[in-house]
Formats: sequence, structure tokens, C-alpha cells
Amino acid sequence: MKNEMLGVILAGGKGTRLGKLTHNQAKPAVPFGGRYRIIDFTLSNCVNSGVKNIGVITQYQPLNLNAHIGNGASWGLDDLNAGVTILQPYSNNEGSKWFEGTAHAIYQNIGYIDQMDPEYILILSGDHIYKMDYEAMLDQHKETGASLTVAVIDVPWDEASRFGIMNTDDNNRIIDFEEKPAEPKSNHASMGIYIFNWKRLREVLVNSFTRNQDMVDFGKNVIPYYLKSGESVFAYNFKGYWKDVGTIDSLWHANMEFLDENNELNLQDRTWRIYSRNPIAPPQIIAETAEIKDAMIVDGSYIAGKVDHSILSANVRIQTGSVVTDSVIMPGAKIGKNVTIHRAIIGEGAVIGDDVVIDGTDEIAVIGNKEVVGVTSHEE
Amino acid sequence: MKNNKMCAILGNEHEYTELLPLTKRRALATLYFDCKYRIMDFALSSIVNANIRNIFLVVNQAKLKSYFDHLGGGREWGLDSIGSYRYINFSQDLVRQKVEGQKYFDDVIDYLEKSRSTYTVFVGNKMLNSVDLKAVLKIHKAQKNDMTVVFKRMPKDKIASDDQILEIDDQTNRVKGNHNFSEYPHNSDIYNLSMNIFIIETQNLINQLRKGQRIGASANLEDFFLSLISRLNCGTYEYTGYMCNIFDVKSYYDANMDMLNVDHMNSLLYSSQHIITRTKNEVATHFTKTSDVKNSQFATGCVVEGYVRNSLVSRRTFISENSKVEDSIIMSNARIGKDVEIKYAILDKDVVVKSGVKIIGTPGNPVVIEKKMKVTSDVIQDTPREDVED
Repeated sequence: MKNEMLGVILAGGKGTRLGKLTHNQAKPAVPFGGRYRIIDFTLSNCVNSGVKNIGVITQYQPLNLNAHIGNGASWGLDDLNAGVTILQPYSNNEGSKWFEGTAHAIYQNIGYIDQMDPEYILILSGDHIYKMDYEAMLDQHKETGASLTVAVIDVPWDEASRFGIMNTDDNNRIIDFEEKPAEPKSNHASMGIYIFNWKRLREVLVNSFTRNQDMVDFGKNVIPYYLKSGESVFAYNFKGYWKDVGTIDSLWHANMEFLDENNELNLQDRTWRIYSRNPIAPPQIIAETAEIKDAMIVDGSYIAGKVDHSILSANVRIQTGSVVTDSVIMPGAKIGKNVTIHRAIIGEGAVIGDDVVIDGTDEIAVIGNKEVVGVTSHEE
Repeated sequence: MKNNKMCAILGNEHEYTELLPLTKRRALATLYFDCKYRIMDFALSSIVNANIRNIFLVVNQAKLKSYFDHLGGGREWGLDSIGSYRYINFSQDLVRQKVEGQKYFDDVIDYLEKSRSTYTVFVGNKMLNSVDLKAVLKIHKAQKNDMTVVFKRMPKDKIASDDQILEIDDQTNRVKGNHNFSEYPHNSDIYNLSMNIFIIETQNLINQLRKGQRIGASANLEDFFLSLISRLNCGTYEYTGYMCNIFDVKSYYDANMDMLNVDHMNSLLYSSQHIITRTKNEVATHFTKTSDVKNSQFATGCVVEGYVRNSLVSRRTFISENSKVEDSIIMSNARIGKDVEIKYAILDKDVVVKSGVKIIGTPGNPVVIEKKMKVTSDVIQDTPREDVED
């Protein structure tokens, strides 16, 4: 079947900087905002942009991610002429094929992409929080007649040296690319979102890999190669909220920003909905002893303690006398009585016993998934 | 296939004028319950939790939309999978066929034959419970009766006048007789209330239906099953879990408010039966800095700035600053302005309440605000419901 644009989400990264939170799962599967997992934003953007055939490249600890995506029904990807395919490393007669980098992962999955037969391929990463219309980016790609369009966002100048920076001319053509430059010439940071003409990218990848030319990574190899070989490469300027949640600090900050009533993401907006796989759970219970201020809470939760400026995910329990402030509690975490939690991320299914104090005043405290802290009382 | 050992008939025939205006545009079965559920979720969950994937749904023709809005393709209940089968019939159609002298049970018989099931379970639409139908089937097989009816001992005030009361033989556990509650002496506090859940061998049911349509039996399937009680050896299964019987605004209000009681909620929603409902994608409910909430339940997608006590709030409701919601049921997508006072009320879907307005009922007579109403002036209801003229 002919697809105009195929989406491929790179979701294989370990996310080392998220520490305990990615101990047993890939970064895109990490919960966000009470109700979501990080990859939901990219998946929903795809669906809302009319990109309804999506490959998700997984490698590191894919179990939770695969279970989350399932057949894609939660995003409407079980529709006619739609589908989501998990692409994982495999072995063949030439040996096993672990993905060595972003572009290598695409090269290894040429079989799948050829089968989908797209005109354009949209390369995405599964670890950003944002809302974006990829169709508008495709429109520009077609208008400019580009071979490659790179989405860029203007970052504060003092942060520009942390990003891949695209230097553009007056026509928004990219003429130069610098990875984490010490002295940036522009503040157009690459968002890691690319639209390629698939035919050309395919040629480049096949030629390079068969000749043992280094073409493993998009940022390091493919984009510089495109620029050097005179391909027409354009920038697509994105304006709006965009957050890389690759570190504990940024994940915590993004959650706290999400809690702001006037946050730029505005997920109450029903014209661009963010979908997720939702467990079926009873409504949240706010008990007589609860005190809740400035908090987001979802289904299946039972709150008998005090919650201030925090995000609570599904099926969380907070018993009486406990105080949770400036924190993110992930799904299924159970918090006992008289617990104090401040500036912390409590992992999925973690159990915090009575009277425990978790204080992240100096540095965000993290309790890992399923970690047990303190002694738990037997009563529920 | 193993799935098909039991098939189900879900009867949605019961309606009460006492539930108006809540059931003006929706069937009793699709009334909202406890923020997230619809009444039919409980019967449907019992059915699919018993691995039944063959369902014959009898629906009210006039309110078809409300079923489809909720059921969709049946994905959440596993009813869109291979081997699952749903057959939908209008209750009015059965009656019409009977009036026209046709063989009005033929569609049901056809369904039962195609299901290749050994047993059929019938479940009525208005009693909320989480009965384990596999357990009922076990008892049915062990007791070797023609049919088994599920009942619960219920107090007088939780029984509607058209409910069926069972007289049960202490020795055999069989039903000796069944009576309409209105025709039954009201001389006790507790009655054996039929929950209108029946299990019968499918072949026997087919025979009974054939015989029934020959002799002009009721085309209402629930009534038909009730009529079988006296014609067959009918055993009983006593349900001991929490149940609510919904037949008027007060019973609907009380059943919802019962969910604020942890024991009742645990019995109904956290039993070994998982209650399945339609999933929706909503952002987490946001309690702002000004919110003050205790002893209440919420679905997702709400923004709460105000004061909420002893209430159930459904999806996407906005409760503005300085507003008070107490002892009330707020269905989805309500917009409640500032300085509003709501007490002992049921707000149907999509209600808008203008700032400064008071909506106040009494525990015995909660105010009902109809779907999509814009309330711009006070609604104070202190007269008992009997005195209100339609």
C-alpha cells in the first residue's frame, strides 16, 4: 500500500540520565503528567497530523513500551489503512543486527519501510514533550522542494551550545550544522525531527553501509553528508512548547510546568488531543482527611493525605498524615502513613513505608520503579 | 470454542417514569453511575468476566443512540475479537411481531442455536452488582434444577413496586412462588428480591421459547423468564455482595452516594470482578490552589477551583472559584460559575450554571437539572417530590 509519509519513532535509547526510572524500561515509556507516557506525545502528534502508519524502533528494555503501544488502538492506529509496527533488532544470515545508531536503525529496517512504500519518511524521537503538526512541516517540505527538512526551535542563546545548531541562510536553507558548538552562530536548535525523501535517503544509506562508510547517526553523519553533497536541506521553524525530558531534572521541571494552570501545552484543548493507553480504573477518591492544593490526580487513586503542587498518576495511594509536595508520583505507587515527600519522583509501583522522609531539597530525590523504602504496615 | 459454553441475553426492558428527566433521552441501562460508569457496565462486565463473548442485546429502539455512544465497537469489553458475537434486537420489535401474529421469539432462538452454547444466562438492566456468573453456573450445575435465579435479601425501601419477590423453600432452595412486590404483603423488613439474573440450559430455553410463542407468552424477555419460574424447577443463588436497585431519582441518587462509603465501593468496584467501562482520553483532574475538596470522587479532565464535599464529579467538569458543591452528582462537562451553591442536586451532562446561582434540593428529593440546561436563576426544591406537579 502506498503511504505518502511514514512515521518512524526512534524509541530504542536507554535514557541513562534518567537513572533508576529507566532501569527496567526505555525512556519513551516513562510516565509523564499523571496520565501519559512520554511517547504518547509523539504518537498523538502523528495521528493528529494524519500520519497513521508508524514504525516504533525499540531496543533497550522494550517490554513496557511494547505493552503500552499494543496494537495502537489507544491512538486509533487500529484503523483501516493505519498501523503501528514495533521494529526490534533481529538476526539473519549475516549475523545479529543490534542498532548502532539512529540512521543505522533505519538502515536495518529498510525491509519494513520498503513494504510501506512511502514518498517521505518522518523521523521522530520518542522522548520529547510537545504538540506539533507534522503535516504543516510536510507542506513546507514539498513547497521548498527539499530533500531533507529539519525541524528547529529557537533556544535561549546561553543554552545553544548544548544543542545541534543549524545555521540557515535568508531562505531558511541550512548551510551549516554544528553539534554542540562552543560559540554558536545561531540559536536554531535541531529538534531531532526530520522529513526525508525516502528514495534519496535509501540510496544514501545503502551506498554508505555497503561501502563501510560511517553513516550510523543522523546528527553526526547523515546531515553533514547531505550538506556536503549539496542536497537541498531546509529548516522548519517550530514555535511552541518543546521539552527534552532526558534528565531527572528536566523530567521533574517539565512535570511542574505541566501543573501550571496556564501551561503552554494546554491539554484541555480538544482540537489536538493527546491520547494514551488508559487502564480502566474506578474514579479517584479524595477522602475526608485529604488536603489537596494545586495538584493533578487521575483514576484509581486514593488520597487521604496532604498533597501540594504535585502530580499523581493512576492507582496511587497516599495514606493519612502523609505530606507530598513538589513531587511526581508515578502509577501504582503506594505511600504509607505520616510520610514526607518533597521534591521527588517516586517510581512506578514503588512502596514507601510509614514515617519515611524523602527530601529532595538539594537535588531531586528519585525512588526507583518497584523500589521498597522503609517498613510497610499491613493494613491497606 | 470454550468461550461459547455460556451465552448471554442482556435485557434492557425496564424503564421507570420516576427516573425522568434523567432517562428522557437515554435508557436506564446507559444512565451514568459513580463518575465514570454506566449502569449497563456492571451487567456487561459480569458477562464478559465469565468468558461469555456471545451476547444478545435487547435495547429500547427510541434510545438506541445512548447504547452505541457507550458500547462503540465493544473493544473495552473484548467484544470486538474473533469468536465474539453481538446480536441486537429492539424490545419494541418483539412486541410488534407478537401483535402481528408472527413467531416473535424466532430471532432469539436463531441466536441461541448459532451460539452453540450449553447454557444461557439472562441479565436484567437495573440492578447494579458484581455477581460472578461462573460461580452461579457452578451452583446451577450442582443443584441440577432446570433454571437458577439469583436473588438478594433486600430491605423494603430498596424495592420497587414492580420488582419480583421470591418465596424460597428452605429445604430444597427452590422457588415456591414469585410475586410482584405491589401484590405481596408488606409485613416484613427483608424480602428475597429477584435480581432478574437467570441461568438455564440453552436447549431447554429454546424449547420454552418455542412453546411460549405458540401460547402467546409475554414478548418481554424479562417477564418471560419470570414466567418460567413457576413452570420449571427453579433453584436459587443468593448474592451477598453490594447491590443497588435503581427505579426512581431517589434510589439513583442514593446508589451513587453509596459509593462514598468505602465498604460499598470496595464491594462493587474492587471485587474480584473487574468492572469495565469505556475508556476516554482525558488529562488529569486539576485541583487548583483555591480548591478545597473532601470525601468526594472525581473522574479525569476536571478543573476544580472551588469547594466540594460528599459529591461525585464526572469527566471534564469545571467548578469555579468560591463555588460550593455538596452532596451532589455532577455528570460530565458541567460548567459551574463563581459563587454558585449546589446541594442535594443531580446535574445531568453539559449543564451550565451561571455565577451566583443556587441549586438546592433535599436528601429525600434531590433537584435534577436536565441535560444541556443553562441555569441562570436559583432552583430551590424543598417540597417532597409527591407534591410536585408535572
